[in-house]
Amino acid sequence: MAKTILIVDDSASIRQVVKIALTSGGYDVIEAVDGKDALGKLDGQKIHLIISDVNMPNMDGISFVREAKQLPAYKFTPVIMLTTESQEAKKQAGQAAGAKAWVVKPFQPAQMLAAVSKLILP
Amino acid sequence: MKTLVLEDELTIFSASEQKNRLLAFLESDHELEINLSKVDEIDTAGLQLLILIKREAALHGKALRFILHSKAVLEILELANLTTAFGDQVILPHNEE
Amino acid sequence: MSFDDQMRDALVTFTIESLELLEDMEMCLLSLEDGEDTTERINSIFRAAHTIKGSAGLFGLDHIVAFTHVVESLLDLLRAGNLSVSPELVAALLPCCDHIGLLVRDVADGKLEADPAVDLTGGQLLEQLQVFLSPLADKNVATAVADRQSKLEASGGGSIESGKWHLSLRFGPDSLRDGMDPLSFIRYLTTFGQITQLTTISEAMPPAEQMDPETCYVGFEINLKSDAGKDEIEGVFEFVQDSSSIRILPLDSEIGEFIDLIKQLPEDDSYLGELLIKSGALTRRELEDALNQQGVNAAGDAGDTAAKQPIGEILVEHQAVQQPIVNAALDKQKQIKDNKARESQSIRVDADRLDKLIDLIGELVIAGSGVNLRAQESKAMALLEATGEMMRLVEEVRDSALQLRMVPIGTTFNRFQRVVRDVSKELGKEIDLIISGGDTEVDKSIVEQISDPLTHLVRNAMDHGIETAELRRERGKSARGVLRLNAYHAAGNIVIEVSDDGGGLNRDKIFEKALERGLISPNAVLSDQEIFAMIFEPGFSTAQKVSNLSGRGVGMDVVKRNVAALRGSIAVESHYGSGSTMRIHLPLTLAIIDSFMVCVGHSTLVIPLDKILECIALPTDTGEHDYMDLRGEVLPLVHLRPLFNIHGKEPQRKNVVVVEHAGIKAGFIVDRLLGECQTVIKPLGKLFTHIKGVAGSTILGNGKVALILDVPTLVDYVQHKSATVY
Repeated sequence: MAKTILIVDDSASIRQVVKIALTSGGYDVIEAVDGKDALGKLDGQKIHLIISDVNMPNMDGISFVREAKQLPAYKFTPVIMLTTESQEAKKQAGQAAGAKAWVVKPFQPAQMLAAVSKLILP
Repeated sequence: MKTLVLEDELTIFSASEQKNRLLAFLESDHELEINLSKVDEIDTAGLQLLILIKREAALHGKALRFILHSKAVLEILELANLTTAFGDQVILPHNEE
Repeated sequence: MSFDDQMRDALVTFTIESLELLEDMEMCLLSLEDGEDTTERINSIFRAAHTIKGSAGLFGLDHIVAFTHVVESLLDLLRAGNLSVSPELVAALLPCCDHIGLLVRDVADGKLEADPAVDLTGGQLLEQLQVFLSPLADKNVATAVADRQSKLEASGGGSIESGKWHLSLRFGPDSLRDGMDPLSFIRYLTTFGQITQLTTISEAMPPAEQMDPETCYVGFEINLKSDAGKDEIEGVFEFVQDSSSIRILPLDSEIGEFIDLIKQLPEDDSYLGELLIKSGALTRRELEDALNQQGVNAAGDAGDTAAKQPIGEILVEHQAVQQPIVNAALDKQKQIKDNKARESQSIRVDADRLDKLIDLIGELVIAGSGVNLRAQESKAMALLEATGEMMRLVEEVRDSALQLRMVPIGTTFNRFQRVVRDVSKELGKEIDLIISGGDTEVDKSIVEQISDPLTHLVRNAMDHGIETAELRRERGKSARGVLRLNAYHAAGNIVIEVSDDGGGLNRDKIFEKALERGLISPNAVLSDQEIFAMIFEPGFSTAQKVSNLSGRGVGMDVVKRNVAALRGSIAVESHYGSGSTMRIHLPLTLAIIDSFMVCVGHSTLVIPLDKILECIALPTDTGEHDYMDLRGEVLPLVHLRPLFNIHGKEPQRKNVVVVEHAGIKAGFIVDRLLGECQTVIKPLGKLFTHIKGVAGSTILGNGKVALILDVPTLVDYVQHKSATVY
């Protein structure tokens, strides 16, 4: 049974590329457009890994991760933060909220797949 | 002799309950058997528990055997190079050699 | 649908999304000056630029990333309140918005690369933005990007083929809670190579009651066989680096490889850390950690500022790298520093100007001799004293001028590090190069011209001299062959040796071959030396198999010719089974020599002084013999008079000039000894180049021409002559 990954990003093209990359690696991918949307998606099914952008309307990535980590089912779920190189402070904030892994934008599809593969099996 | 069938996952998410269950089981008899056939997911936290229970059993002079390792368990033991330590006297159901 | 098709689909999504975002961005920009609270609008403008940049990066649209990056930086300042909204700012941003739209539409039309014309407009727009950016000196962004690039380049440095690594991993206690599963990383590690040995370490786990099932207690000791570099392997553990102890060291058996790499690094960086990173033995992160540690230590004992712990020590303590590798880097560092120091004390001079100076000094020496001669004829004491002093000074000027051309041969030798490494790879042999005497100085023009013959000798020694590893083991030698380059001064010569510890020359095979080629007669009795010398004959090769390096029968004779052209000679010493040494004797300089003048008949001949051992009177009982008794030693003689066909009355008493070359003595029979002088060597015209026994000519102080004797050739001649006589 393939593991499910949630990608949270307000950019449709980034979501699409992440999905392409991870599906090619044998993962299932579901999408959310911002933090609020993502919190709703967490309820329905078991999600094994979360990838979240930082800058999003409605609910930003940091607040989303902090809230997700409060949920018992997601207490230990690995989270990858999408950061940009100039956002060192954001990376720290993300780590404090519970996102211990990160991928720097812009990234190649293969880099995304590598980051996920380090953390969970398909 | 008593047998414990571990079910579902042996991961960080269930590690606390599983630890209690395993330690309680250790008290139950002198000759013990843990059936791993139903463990469909295991991670480092789960492996730590297997190492712990094996060590505790030896410490208290109890006979403990692991039987019917699931594919997931075999895979992680192989990765940690602990197959010999945990695969004793067991017919490996998933002979991948 | 293929991966490419999917990506093309995603690109369509990107263009649609970007154009939408740009529309929003434009609207927000236009409304910014309405006096209402702008925070949310500025945020969404920023987000739009940010998203476009991020997505463009995914598709490798670097020109869009580059342009949007500057716009984004400006918007970031606006968002942070470092800039305020002004009509000028809006006026500058709106065309940027349009420009991004243009770039995106180009992508939609299939133009994935930057269009130069469009790029030009973009550049102008960015210049306008600089007005807002520059006062705030947004150098941070620029340097951050530059840093990143330089790092990327630096990390591409050394690489170890099929390296073997030892990983010592102790995961942080929170790893499991953080969702960072150690075994998952190790599983990923197997995609980089093969784990040959793994031990799970669980001793840190406390007794059952205290054991927290959510805390990570395990560690791993791993041997990994992988082609991946250290930084790649380190990258696997990127997410847990801060909380865990990750040590990656080359296995002991690989240390030598790293030391070799360090030795061959270019000499453009003298920082220890950089050297180690370039060799691939250290990663940048490890270096940064160690530098931080160094800073912390230094701050700790602030009173004692001088006692900063050396970075190498810290690295070894942290187990980032092993001591022998650090030592190699330290040696390299010292070598680079020495070379730099040498460079800083020197002036670069055009070699042509130097040659001109030497030429002029040569003329001065000749003119000086002329003056001296006239002074002697005049017998005026005061004049003689003055010219004596002048000659002394001219001699000194000459020596210092020649010194200017002297360079250490080490630079030429060091070039062979690379040759040896490459050729040994090519041949599949393991060969160490040992260099000694690199400080020995020799004339620059000689250094330039000796490089080719040396290369040939080195390759030859590696190809035919040093045996394959199996054969070496069979013969009870270490599997690694040793090649030595050595240089030293001896009797006014520089001697360069190329030695190997290989199989040595096969005397019998060479003899056979020489017979076959008709170079010797079947019943000739030859010494080992004479037989070995055959390898320098044209068209002579005993190589069993012809490789593309050597063994095509051209080569050794060319080497000999090249060396002879430098007025030098080459000899070989070889012991069957244990190796050969090629020994090249070269004059220190090509231009001016100290020499000894002799007289035969009416001709004046010049003999290089550094070849002369002594001058004696010819014993009257020698007659026409070709040898004489020199204090119990047989001294072969060369009768210069018949050899050069010089006529004229023979004197009653003759003299013998005893010369030595390459360990062989000979006596030249001359009429009179004229004394020492300085000789400027003039090459003979092309017409005379085939004449053996004459190395050149010189003009004497009185304007007459004298021939310079070619001692090596004459010694050689007398030796061969005696060989055929006996």
